[in-house]
Amino acid sequence: MPTEDTIKDIVVKIIHCDRELLTSDSTFKELEADSLDLVQILVALEDEFNIEIPEEDAQGLTTFGGFVDYVNNKVAEKS
Amino acid sequence: MEKPRVVVTGLGAVTPIGLNAEDFWTSLTSGKSGIGHITHFDVSNFPIKVAAEIPGDFDPTHYMHPKMVDRTARAVHLAIPALKEALASSRLDMDKEQVERVGVVTATLVETAYLIKGKELLEKHGARRADPLFITKSSPSALAMQIGMITGARGPNTYVDSLCASGTDAMGAALNFMRLGYTDVMIVAGSDASLDPTTLAGMNILGALSRSSDPTTACRPFDLNRNGFVYGEAAGVVILETYEHAKKRNAPIIAEFGGAGWSFDAYDSTAPYAETQAIAMSVALRDAGIKPEDLDYINAHGTSTKLNDVCETKAVKILLGEEKAHKTPISSNKSMLGHSITATGLIEAIASILTVSRGILPPTINYATPAPACDLAYVPNKASKVEINNCLSNGFGLGGENCCIVFKRFAD
Repeated sequence: MPTEDTIKDIVVKIIHCDRELLTSDSTFKELEADSLDLVQILVALEDEFNIEIPEEDAQGLTTFGGFVDYVNNKVAEKS
Repeated sequence: MEKPRVVVTGLGAVTPIGLNAEDFWTSLTSGKSGIGHITHFDVSNFPIKVAAEIPGDFDPTHYMHPKMVDRTARAVHLAIPALKEALASSRLDMDKEQVERVGVVTATLVETAYLIKGKELLEKHGARRADPLFITKSSPSALAMQIGMITGARGPNTYVDSLCASGTDAMGAALNFMRLGYTDVMIVAGSDASLDPTTLAGMNILGALSRSSDPTTACRPFDLNRNGFVYGEAAGVVILETYEHAKKRNAPIIAEFGGAGWSFDAYDSTAPYAETQAIAMSVALRDAGIKPEDLDYINAHGTSTKLNDVCETKAVKILLGEEKAHKTPISSNKSMLGHSITATGLIEAIASILTVSRGILPPTINYATPAPACDLAYVPNKASKVEINNCLSNGFGLGGENCCIVFKRFAD
């Protein structure tokens, strides 16, 4: 899944965690990502996939899997 | 109101002449210069050729989590190893401290590279593509905030800015927090990594910088042929405690922080003024309970500009009178370290603390030709071993902000 791999690249680059820790259930809290990490991830995803993630949507995204599904849906909507 | 005694219990330094306080002191007292050709950016078409840079092999990831390195500016990178060294040398255990009684005061300068990058991003992509790290990287409060996060210190957390006097000023501000009873411990940090083309060009247009291309002689405070200051970068951290607090936990006391004094020139935007500099020195001595005749040594602001060195010499004479002024040794650390703007006062505070603690006066290097208007005892070229009780350290901001601080040899 190219999207998931790309999102993994982005998250690892920003929060400097082990790639293996990124499973669909892993929460950003478990990954010790704080508010600033999440803003960085959102901006990087918007940039990478040329999408817009409204703040109200972002608040509901707490797991890695949630991010992947959300981005996939956004990308599908666009095409 | 009885002022509580304040002592120094920890030191940390990251400088062009040593990446810890001990190496820094060894280099400083052996006259080793940290000034070299600029490597941080291409100077082939730039008027300024030399600076005092932190050696290129400095790697912040040795001291910080890579995520924190990404998030912070170079001034924070330089300060964190100094912080860790200072905490270790003071043996301060934050788990045993009342954390709201531990405060942080810092001095640092915004790095213009981040401001420029932030503006470019905004113009290219609009507000939605702003860099989420712009604020944390460009705010001068970031250094104090990071130190608070790392140590868990929950007392006052702030920074001061009086340009070239900032580091000295931060020490004075921290002293006051303790004297007013807000804190038992203060972590004071100065870190400056503003050595970039925009800032240097700004200083150059004011005529303040040496345009010499020879790093071995570019900075020569108080010498007849001095021609401007040399830009530098550095970080320093000092741990201050009330005497009572330090005694209670059996801390290693290095020196006593005697007092501080301030003044403002209200004279010229860039030129110094001797009368007001002398006022800041005089207030600092009075605050420390020291008579001018009992002053043993002055750690000069000593920038190596035409104006500063004459003016500081004159100010010392106003303070001490001609006779005592000629007998009192005064030297410039900047002859070896260049001028690290907001951090320089912190670095010179560390040098002053070690001077009273160890009885060695660091020299003014590159001193070759006496200047008629600079006729004091500048400790030329070689360190001097003396019994010393009281030391004054001068910090003079470009706009006329003066702060002077006093350290005393510690005695119970």
